[in-house]
Amino acid sequence: MFTKKFTKENILKILQSTKGRIILIAIAVSLAFPLFISDTYIIRILTLIAIFTIYASSWNLLAMSGQGSLGHAAFLGIGGFTSSLLAINLGVPPIIGIFIGAAFSAGIGFLIGVTCVRLQAWFLAMVTFGFSVIAETLFSQFDDYTHAVLGFPTPLLVAPGLPFYYFAVVISIITVAVIYLIMKSKMGLAFRAIHQNVAEASMTGINTAKYKLYAFVLSTFFAGLAGAIYYHFLKYISVSVFAADNSFKPLMMSVIGGLGTIEGPIIGSAIMVFIDALLPNIDGTLQLALSPLFPAVSNVGPPVRLLGLGIFLVIVVVFLPKGVTSLLHKIYDYLRRELKIGEKP
Amino acid sequence: MIDATTLILTLVWGVAIGCIYILLATGLNLIFGVMKLVNFAHGELLMIGAYVCFSISTAFGVNAYIALFLSMGIVALIGVAVERLAFRRVLGTDKLNEIFVSLGLILIFDNIAVLIWGEKIKQITSPFENMSLQLGGVAISYDRLISLAFVAAILVGLMFLIKKTKIGRAMRATSQKSQSAMLMGINIEHIYIFTFALGAALAGAAGSLYGIIAPFTPYIGAIPTIKAFAIIILGGLGSIPGAIIGGLLYGIAEQSAVIFFGGIWRDAVAFSLLIIVLILRPKGLFGEKGD
Repeated sequence: MFTKKFTKENILKILQSTKGRIILIAIAVSLAFPLFISDTYIIRILTLIAIFTIYASSWNLLAMSGQGSLGHAAFLGIGGFTSSLLAINLGVPPIIGIFIGAAFSAGIGFLIGVTCVRLQAWFLAMVTFGFSVIAETLFSQFDDYTHAVLGFPTPLLVAPGLPFYYFAVVISIITVAVIYLIMKSKMGLAFRAIHQNVAEASMTGINTAKYKLYAFVLSTFFAGLAGAIYYHFLKYISVSVFAADNSFKPLMMSVIGGLGTIEGPIIGSAIMVFIDALLPNIDGTLQLALSPLFPAVSNVGPPVRLLGLGIFLVIVVVFLPKGVTSLLHKIYDYLRRELKIGEKP
Repeated sequence: MIDATTLILTLVWGVAIGCIYILLATGLNLIFGVMKLVNFAHGELLMIGAYVCFSISTAFGVNAYIALFLSMGIVALIGVAVERLAFRRVLGTDKLNEIFVSLGLILIFDNIAVLIWGEKIKQITSPFENMSLQLGGVAISYDRLISLAFVAAILVGLMFLIKKTKIGRAMRATSQKSQSAMLMGINIEHIYIFTFALGAALAGAAGSLYGIIAPFTPYIGAIPTIKAFAIIILGGLGSIPGAIIGGLLYGIAEQSAVIFFGGIWRDAVAFSLLIIVLILRPKGLFGEKGD
């Protein structure tokens, strides 16, 4: 599959290009950052960004093949519950459990995919949303085995703090690298072709159902992996995993960051996690400034922030179809042009 | 064992809830049929409709069923704004963009409602509160019967509009082939605005009826949207009689699930039904052939 593209020289060439340097710098910064700032709260935020990078990238991979899921929370939850329950009931070490959880999630994803890949975009969105509701119901119904209704503490995966941060960062780098390699391969080419036009893709001899199924299974694998890591990190899991909010998060992250790009979900999850973590600080100010206007609400902050997020999402989709990433690319191109013009005389 | 009274009550409840879903589904179906647009935020228009009706009826002491018409008009205007400012700009681009815009709109509407009306549960006071019709041991509240009548009247009016009037003919032409319709001198931009406003007005009516027969919060919108989609899929895309049959089937299936399996199965059973139908008949039960 990677016959020509990834010989040693080619990899070296990629690493020597500007793009390669940016990637290397990004990896180096993410690994070295905690050496300078060891505040536990900031480490926690960075760990969340790493985990959500995995989750958003998994969603984005599905979107790259032209499919949209509104129920990825189901797979997040399946991954999380499988890993935690295996560790508690059968003593499976969580480090293996997270991969079993991911594989189990991919298995369920395969079953959903087999039946649904032929559906059009919005039908698939509906079915996946419905599946997350069904998963929530099943987990609550079989509470004797899942203990999902009240929830339970999840066992330790890696020591909290720095070790967990490095673990999450390494897994997320591997995930992003794997997705990058997939998108560079023949399979990735097929995904892009299907995304652009299903009919034409099948006319050129691409087995669209097969490749859509691949995308679905791969995506649900990484979503399950993200879920397993996330709920070991949160130290607690309950049926609330399946909330629609969790399904919409990766979507918003991918869209805001830049749909269909490798770096989009990373940037998007960084933006969203920062907004989630830092903006509650402005709630007090919002409350003082706006509470006379809205006497019906006791705490004005959260709805105002969510309203802002909604407006931001619509503006991004309407005016920046490739997300914040495209803005960064434009700035980068502009700077390069300006610098070159400066060099000429 | 479940006795006959329970069964009849289930049926009545199912039909009443089904009616509200039918209105919502018909609006969605119109918008989808004419504009080929999927508005996942349609349920938020229902929620706004309920609140507008609530505000009008409490602030001015108007009969809730008269406030319903005002609410329909206001929600239609909101629909026009939504179509012009958001959906118009992504129409014809990637299908996924419509889903993203809808999600943004869901956040916007939910939180505007929270800011204006607060998060507390509200219910519209009906002029026929606590009055019910006694039918052989079964009590059916007047509000449910009136909402049934309203839905029937609105649907008949809508059928007349679509089948008999000039603008209805233009809408049908646009839904069949927008480019040819344009060549025939139809201003499809105007048709789009009109269709979206009509769909939104139906959602406003659905919301007002919902608010009369059940309590509501700013977060009630999401689930009815998905259910309306399920109904459209059950009934087939673009078919109004299909939506009526689908809506009634759905409402009854949902209520039966609650009675036979318990409350937590309410949504799951309905979605299972939907998924099974989609797998067996990807175009819906009564769907037309072709795309």
